[in-house]
Amino acid sequence: MKYFAVTVLGAIFAFLLADFMLAQPSSPQSTSLQASLSDAGGNATAIAFKHALHGDSIGLDCAHCHTGAKTAAHAYMPSKSDCIDCHRLPLTENPGIETLDSALSVAPSEPWVKKSMLPDHVQFHHGVHTVAGVSCDECHGNYKSDSYGGEKFDMRTCLACHRGETDASRNFKRAATYCAACHR
Amino acid sequence: MDRREFIKVCSVMAAAGLLYGCRKIPFVGKASSDESLSRAIPALKDFEDEVEKAMARGGKNLDLVKVPMPSILNASDADLQNRFGMAIDLDACNGCGKCIMACIVENNIPLVTEEEREKDRFMHWIKMRGDAPFMCAHCGDAPCEKVCPTGAANHTPDGLSAMMYKRCAGSRFCGANCPEKARKFNYNDAEELGLLRKFNAEVPVRGKGVMEKCSMCLQRLQNDRLRFKAEHPFNEWRGRNVKTACAEACPRNAIIFGNWLDPESPLVKAAKHRELFAPRSIAKFDPSVVYMRGRR
Repeated sequence: MKYFAVTVLGAIFAFLLADFMLAQPSSPQSTSLQASLSDAGGNATAIAFKHALHGDSIGLDCAHCHTGAKTAAHAYMPSKSDCIDCHRLPLTENPGIETLDSALSVAPSEPWVKKSMLPDHVQFHHGVHTVAGVSCDECHGNYKSDSYGGEKFDMRTCLACHRGETDASRNFKRAATYCAACHR
Repeated sequence: MDRREFIKVCSVMAAAGLLYGCRKIPFVGKASSDESLSRAIPALKDFEDEVEKAMARGGKNLDLVKVPMPSILNASDADLQNRFGMAIDLDACNGCGKCIMACIVENNIPLVTEEEREKDRFMHWIKMRGDAPFMCAHCGDAPCEKVCPTGAANHTPDGLSAMMYKRCAGSRFCGANCPEKARKFNYNDAEELGLLRKFNAEVPVRGKGVMEKCSMCLQRLQNDRLRFKAEHPFNEWRGRNVKTACAEACPRNAIIFGNWLDPESPLVKAAKHRELFAPRSIAKFDPSVVYMRGRR
């Protein structure tokens, strides 16, 4: 009798555990190269991508890797082949470069997983905003510290600039605020 | 009942409850994939057949009166450079109906149920009326927009009567206040009923309970505007590369799309020396889509 009760309670606990596990939301997508490289390759010595080493310091513009950021509707997220374009040759004397080469060789071809959160009734043209003089860090403020995701874009953020409320501090022109400018 | 017995009964009941609660878990993935499979997607032929049926039923002939050429909108936020519109050449149009099909494919317009078809209730944004296509005229002083309780029907500065589907609450006041009944109401969830085919990813699908109508291919205009502004930040955009789907599809070039305020626009060039007409009931609302006939 005692064992029966233990078995039943154990079964209940197992169900609760199963329910809890199944109800968990899927784990968040890895947003940095470091995370996805170590996940995919099983390589413990993963390399972190540092915007600071790839941007202004070596004279590269954002649009060099994120092609289309200045002209097209969407800014492209580079894949491994874009890294390899430059990294097929040892670029520095840095001893870490060998680690990088081995890590890149096992890395998946698309190291970044990017999911647009924009609903299909909203239109956002990246190029127009860049051309209008909005600098990258106005919206992607944390890219220099290499932490990705978590930017909060909502209609209020859009409208603050479009209505000219950020005029004084950032010197932006007013932009269209009629519904059909962004919505369909 | 002693203590042990009581705990036993409680445990069994709790386990049964849990089992009941978990009954769907192993089927979650399977059930949802089955559901998407069962949702039929109509073939292009079904849409063509429906257009044929709609054309066979026809519509009331248009009662046209002369109107002046549309000019700058009478609104506080009116764009002084652009006012988009169309002119339908009644001398060239032979009522072939290719515009209706082009419109369906461009704007993901769903089929209707058998019952609605019998009642002559199609979702088509263009209707053949006496051998001439009729669509929303994008009135400058649109009566439909004035009665919208949520602001879903509103006007763009460049002359389009736009429809913000996500704002629409389905009051249908706009449809009731349009003298020509150019608006169509989604009585069905077309996707659920297998009446929808998503031809064009640029145009969002309208849900049940939402009013829709001709958007003058808003997506084509806005995409071109954004592309142009990114490529030529210092030039003025006049929408010269854009054509609506119906204008593009017309084999006799009877539908001419353009910018009423741009002398270079094919619309102004074509309409300059013609008599312009609009349906009598909306002529006083400053329509952007007009009919032309004869020479002035």
